[in-house]
Amino acid sequence: MPPRTTLVLATAFQAALLLGTPATAGAQGSPLSGYMELHYNRVEPQDPILDFHRFVLVMSHGFTPRIRFVGELEVEHAVVEGLEEGGEVALEQAYLDFLLTRSFNLRAGMMLVPVGIINERHEPPVFNGVERPFVDTFIIPTTWFEAGVGAHGEIGNGLRYRVLATAPLDAAEFSAAEGIREGQQHGAEANVRNVAATGRLEYLGIAHLTIGGSFWTGDSSFSVRGVDSAVRVGEADARYHRGPLELRGEFAHVNISDADRLNVALQRQTGVSPNVASAMRGFYGEAAYRIWNAGAARDLVAFVRHENFDTQYRMPDGFVPLKLYDRHAWIVGATYFPEPDIAVKVDYVRLANESGIAKPSHGFNVGLGWWF
Amino acid sequence: MQTLLRVLGCFALLLMMPHATAVQERRIVRISAERFSFTPSRIDLRVGEEVDLVVTSDDTSHGLRIEGTEVDLAIPKRGPGDVRARVSFDKAGHYEFACDRMCGAGHNFMRGVIIVRAPAASR
Repeated sequence: MPPRTTLVLATAFQAALLLGTPATAGAQGSPLSGYMELHYNRVEPQDPILDFHRFVLVMSHGFTPRIRFVGELEVEHAVVEGLEEGGEVALEQAYLDFLLTRSFNLRAGMMLVPVGIINERHEPPVFNGVERPFVDTFIIPTTWFEAGVGAHGEIGNGLRYRVLATAPLDAAEFSAAEGIREGQQHGAEANVRNVAATGRLEYLGIAHLTIGGSFWTGDSSFSVRGVDSAVRVGEADARYHRGPLELRGEFAHVNISDADRLNVALQRQTGVSPNVASAMRGFYGEAAYRIWNAGAARDLVAFVRHENFDTQYRMPDGFVPLKLYDRHAWIVGATYFPEPDIAVKVDYVRLANESGIAKPSHGFNVGLGWWF
Repeated sequence: MQTLLRVLGCFALLLMMPHATAVQERRIVRISAERFSFTPSRIDLRVGEEVDLVVTSDDTSHGLRIEGTEVDLAIPKRGPGDVRARVSFDKAGHYEFACDRMCGAGHNFMRGVIIVRAPAASR
């Protein structure tokens, strides 16, 4: 037997033995954790609203140190009532991790799609601003979760990867305003005639810096007859955190093929063209500084973020872009931490667009978020 | 007399020789934990080398459990506190460590490795 084969078999055997090791008590925290967000949003000229935006419980269990379950159940907007628009209950994560080796591990179940910064880092104390960035809402759907299988690991020199095979998006739900966001199937009797592939590579080999890149690709027109729309999402991001300074940036681009026929087919079904673009694009840069760094309860971060996001970036032939959806925003604010897991947030948002008709909007937000 | 001088001479030489068994300075390895990584995530040691791990967090509480050992640390949240452990390994090998306190969506990615080598093989 060649030495390499022997090594691979030995590693697999060793991993199988470790998978069977019983869990031991230790520093493990509670099997129940979670996060919550209460928001006050005042967007002129509308009346202000008070919204218990997210109530999320995270459950974890170690069958062994190397076979772990993670589940995340979310209630959005507090109340869910049948047949009424409003809140929602979502099973955002429910997977088993089989931790085989440092470089190769398997995951199966309902998983977060690892595209962009916020999808996997969305706990309130982790990001600045009351609401998540616009780019991570309208260009990259956040929170993006889907059922499937995948692998992840660290391949040395600070390189980490994740690859997933999941159900694709449903192009019938795409729109001019919200892009691909509503196309998620969420693992609910999801159509898997086509399988989507996601990959993310992260480099952590330089101190204080994390660089990431992701892709998502899948044929998404299974519910629209006679259309062959493939969706490709490409994304790059970076985070730099040293001392009181944190910088982050993200760029995302979405391509949708056959968008002209998709629009025509959907107009035939509903009577209205969704004006889906053939390309969408967004990017943002954020600078944050810990201006008060004197320990617990004396901990304050100020930040500024600029975002540009256009869900009508390129249109298929014969379709005119709605400039209302070519948007850019400035967000300035602060996050106060009475305790590292509690974030009191305040920000001001100026959101403008290129339409020339719709005026820019101004918003003032206050948020209280916590992780436990 | 000559014998006595020889003995005294040897004793003086011994005193002048560098202390061959001088106590080695124990190495301190500082590890920073932050959602969802340890920095550094790879630590190289020699067999028998005793090091002090000093672990801090830059955000929430984390855990650090070294597989195959009794080391299982509760890392306090961001602040002046740290947690320390003195470790040494009798056998060469790869000892993986991981966060064992749920810290968010990327918790299971938060892993690292201690690579212990026989002295001749150390880098």
